[in-house]
Amino acid sequence: MKTFPKTKLAWLWEQMEGCRFIYILGIFGTVVYNGLQLTIPHFSSKIVDNFLSGEEAAANLANHRDQFLMLLGAMIGLTLLRVVIVYFVCMDFEMVSQKVLFRVRNYLFNKIERQDMKFYATYRTGDLMTRVTGDLDAVRHMVAWVVRMITEACALVGATSIYFFIMDWRLALALVAIGPVILFVIILFKKQVAPLHKLLREKLAQLNTDAQENISGNRVVKAFAREDYEIEKFDRCNKDYSQTNQKTALTWITYFPFIETAANLLPVVLLVVGGLFLINDQLTMGQFVAFSGLTWAIANPMRQLGSIMNEFQRFDAASYKVMEIYYSQPSIHDPEDPVPHPGRFEGKVEFKNVSFEYQDDEADGPILRNISFTANPGETIAIMGETGCGKTTLIQLIPRFYDPYEGEVLIDGINVKRFTLKELRKNIGLATQDVLLYSDTIDGNIAYGDSSLSSENVTKYARYSAASEFIAKMPEGYDTIVGERGVGLSGGQKQRISLARALAIRPSILILDDTTSAVDLETEKHIQDSLKHLDFPCTKIIIAQRISTTKNADKILILENGRITEAGTHEELIAKHGYYYEAVQLQMGAEEAERRA
Amino acid sequence: MADHRRNTYKEDEILEEPFDFKHLLRASVYIKKYAGKMLFAMTLSGIGGAVGLLAPMINQQALDIAIPNKDKDMLFRLVIFLVIIYVTSVIFATIRSRIMVKVSQNIIFDIRTDIFAHLQKLPFQYYDDRPHGKILIRVVNYVNSVSDMLSNGLINVILEIFNLIFIIIFMFIVDVKLSLVVMAGVPVLFVFMMWIKNRQRKAWQAVSNKNSNLNAYLQENIVGARITQIFAREDENADIFQVLSERCRKSWMKAVEYSNLVWPGIDGISVFVRAAIYFTGLLIIGQGNVTLGTIVAVSSYAARFWQPIMNLGNIFNNFINNIAYLERIFETLDEPVTVDDAPDAGDMPPIRGKVTFENVTFAYEPGKNVLKNVSFTVEPGESVALVGPTGAGKSTIVNLISRFYNVTEGRVLIDDQDISQVTLHSLRSQMGIMLQDSFIFSGTIEDNIRYGKLDASRDEIVRASQTVCANDFIMRMPDGYSTEVKERGSLLSQGQKQLISFARTLLSDPAILVLDEATSSIDVQTERNLQQGLNAMLKGRTSFIIAHRLSTIKNCDKIMYIDDGGIVECGTHEELMAKKGFYYKLYTAQMENIA
Repeated sequence: MKTFPKTKLAWLWEQMEGCRFIYILGIFGTVVYNGLQLTIPHFSSKIVDNFLSGEEAAANLANHRDQFLMLLGAMIGLTLLRVVIVYFVCMDFEMVSQKVLFRVRNYLFNKIERQDMKFYATYRTGDLMTRVTGDLDAVRHMVAWVVRMITEACALVGATSIYFFIMDWRLALALVAIGPVILFVIILFKKQVAPLHKLLREKLAQLNTDAQENISGNRVVKAFAREDYEIEKFDRCNKDYSQTNQKTALTWITYFPFIETAANLLPVVLLVVGGLFLINDQLTMGQFVAFSGLTWAIANPMRQLGSIMNEFQRFDAASYKVMEIYYSQPSIHDPEDPVPHPGRFEGKVEFKNVSFEYQDDEADGPILRNISFTANPGETIAIMGETGCGKTTLIQLIPRFYDPYEGEVLIDGINVKRFTLKELRKNIGLATQDVLLYSDTIDGNIAYGDSSLSSENVTKYARYSAASEFIAKMPEGYDTIVGERGVGLSGGQKQRISLARALAIRPSILILDDTTSAVDLETEKHIQDSLKHLDFPCTKIIIAQRISTTKNADKILILENGRITEAGTHEELIAKHGYYYEAVQLQMGAEEAERRA
Repeated sequence: MADHRRNTYKEDEILEEPFDFKHLLRASVYIKKYAGKMLFAMTLSGIGGAVGLLAPMINQQALDIAIPNKDKDMLFRLVIFLVIIYVTSVIFATIRSRIMVKVSQNIIFDIRTDIFAHLQKLPFQYYDDRPHGKILIRVVNYVNSVSDMLSNGLINVILEIFNLIFIIIFMFIVDVKLSLVVMAGVPVLFVFMMWIKNRQRKAWQAVSNKNSNLNAYLQENIVGARITQIFAREDENADIFQVLSERCRKSWMKAVEYSNLVWPGIDGISVFVRAAIYFTGLLIIGQGNVTLGTIVAVSSYAARFWQPIMNLGNIFNNFINNIAYLERIFETLDEPVTVDDAPDAGDMPPIRGKVTFENVTFAYEPGKNVLKNVSFTVEPGESVALVGPTGAGKSTIVNLISRFYNVTEGRVLIDDQDISQVTLHSLRSQMGIMLQDSFIFSGTIEDNIRYGKLDASRDEIVRASQTVCANDFIMRMPDGYSTEVKERGSLLSQGQKQLISFARTLLSDPAILVLDEATSSIDVQTERNLQQGLNAMLKGRTSFIIAHRLSTIKNCDKIMYIDDGGIVECGTHEELMAKKGFYYKLYTAQMENIA
């Protein structure tokens, strides 16, 4: 269990800032309407006693008609008052709970958005979604319902007890004596149900995660005809969740008979003790009726206690999960004294003796070792190497997705850690390997980094990345909505849109992580050409497998097992007869190379 | 389909259906299964309630007879009787709750199982057309919401209605005129409820829509957090989220504005009715037709009459609220399965590998043909390469072989068997398809590879990995094959993911192998090694390979150059080179580029 700076309730109180006053007003209102609830029957029973059922009813009615009307008026008036108060109190609680929900939800979104890679590797999408939706809803419910119910119970029990004690303390004591028993039962219940609620939150997250992965991976599921397997797998999650739910609810039901019996014991005790008092003339009939008319005000809250405790435990378990995100701190964040207004970078990128390893990776050795190189403004650096050699990790150090544990990454001679993340990343255009588009229009996707981009510019960058032609052929052109993750587009098309998106922010440093791997050669050539003639100055760092991409670079780096083993121009590296030479050979096809040789 | 447009977080999903209780009727499918149990639970509640009615009578006896007579024995006897009554009703209530907990959880389970199973049948297109967050919210959140309505809600409605009928009968037996006064409140209530119903329904639909939009945006942003960060768009996205969040809040407040009116509304009406009884009662008394006792009796019935109505009002509230979710669930269940087994579909016999396209035309959207009149035949064991510009229709062709989509015109045959006439499962389970997007499930690497063959032994998995050159890097991982890969394989490079999904495909031992840009992110050296393993693999299997690096496909038996939705050239590498057409141009361009 993590510990947080604040307890759950203190945290909740903090979230109510700005609406604490009306919340307390709502609690006060709850007390008031419950008070009215207790007093209104008094008026109606008076009407019945004095004007309808008593011996002098007819006489009273004849002589005190105004009193009758007053009582009737009071009854109606107070009920209307109560009804109005109830409405406003309910709305008050709803309003505050929605404000809290709104505030925490936005805060969590902000938090999630700004986390480091380790966070995303730890929490799965479905899990995070559960926290922002289902778990947070339990927090909302606490504010909207649980607190109101607790207030109601306290108000009813408190007022009635006081009234009882004033009337006859011995009888009152006999009735209240059940209290500690109930409390004991509820505490036992709490002990047993609390871990179940924790488990339930886990199971819900599990269910959400499983469903979300299945939906995201629907293509693979179909490709392997694994529908039955998936259904079976989901069934387990579903059953798990359903059974935990059952177990939680049944836990209450094992305690329910005790509480219910205790609540029912009240009128029985009243009848025994009150009856004996009556027989011994220690109590008047009127007092007895008053007692018996109000036992519900103690019995009903007792009955509610179980569900209140249940909901409270749900809040307890859920708020833990919410607070876990709420208080999480990314290890990569803005520096305390950032470089002020760096503006547009010149674009010089320098790695000085950089080594890197994933923190929790006990695998043998670092991912990157002693990487040093310099890319001057406007230059093109190509990086090549085997699958998993650390290329992607290397370029991710530039926008600070990770920080190196040794050495430094400099831009324009300044360590990247000294910029604010926003200033730093604003200057970097990155097209990742795993292309992720949003379910938005193509236009919206290209203008993702700069929503104010004019449509001419969107078209221009689409042209640069050789995307304009196929976009034009789409049913609604730039307004075509591409599905989540860009479905409906081929891999090459997605890559080109992702490239246009990176270019559209006119970055001073452009990083392409194998962005043209699924693009056909002719198109790639077009892209290479336009990259050479961009209308803004830009340093390019390109990861590529294709020689056609690398050969015109100012410098080619070969990465092997996290080290730079070769560095130089195309010609230099060919002359070296190393990894690069071999790669060229392979791609040309051995015989072709021989023929040309 | 005519007006086909994908949905995003920005738009609500339209649902053109007037409100009616038919959704509830339809839900009876789920209830039927438990009808016996529910009936039993209801009977228990009924008996428990009836037994509970004895309590006031015993109280009365005690107060009227035992106490005035100072008869302590009788008092104790009555108390014991009272205890028995209460204990009985507690036992009944406990049993009912036990039954209903199970029933309601089972109903949730059933609905969720159905919706999930149905989702598995829905074609790519369904998933392509809407944000996944909007699908997810239905499976998880909405289903959770409706369970109580379908179990306890339903029982309570029936009980309360019975309750109401009894009270009305009793009331009328006592006095007709006063009963009519009591009932006079009902039309008022009816008008009130009708007024509120329509507003409430719209309001709750809005809530479900706004939540759905929020969920969609949330999901996309969690998945795309890295993209957000690289474009430093955190603030802008937070603003968008805040707007969506605000809409949720507003729609909720609007909805509860009406919902919260129901209870006080009924309460208010009932008080007026009580006052009216007193008032008319008094007027009638003057005429001597009614005794005071009658008025007392009717006024107490009036209170009892309105209690179930108030309860019904609350349940009604709940129904209206949840029907907004229920209709979304049914909408998903009603989503037509466009790619489904034909009614008399048999199993695909073991595939030898002949693939034929007969005049195949295909359009994702009507009128926009992606493939036009494509015909070709591939003999068993042949390897076919598809080359050509991106977006030419290469992926579409291979998708049609697995019947991920239905052809618009023409036929696709495997071993001369029209694939639309065999079961999807028997067809696809014999195919190995490696998609462009190599999706990795969270779980161990071993689990991911095993996805291709669920009963594969560790040995088989290692062998498949060795064939695709994945074994080396897997062994270098902290826990080897047991290393947990997180969602979508973060911490694995794209190339590594491709190798794993390659191993997965190989393991499934397919009769027909489809590689769609399967090796695009794999470096050339690894690819060369992989090729050797692959060549052994390909022997005897029909295979379709889409690749841009021509060195990888040169040795294929057949190369098809696809452009503009058709086959432009077809032949072996040598033939096409001799032809000096599109392929020749492509190939020489590539070589020149390298050299």
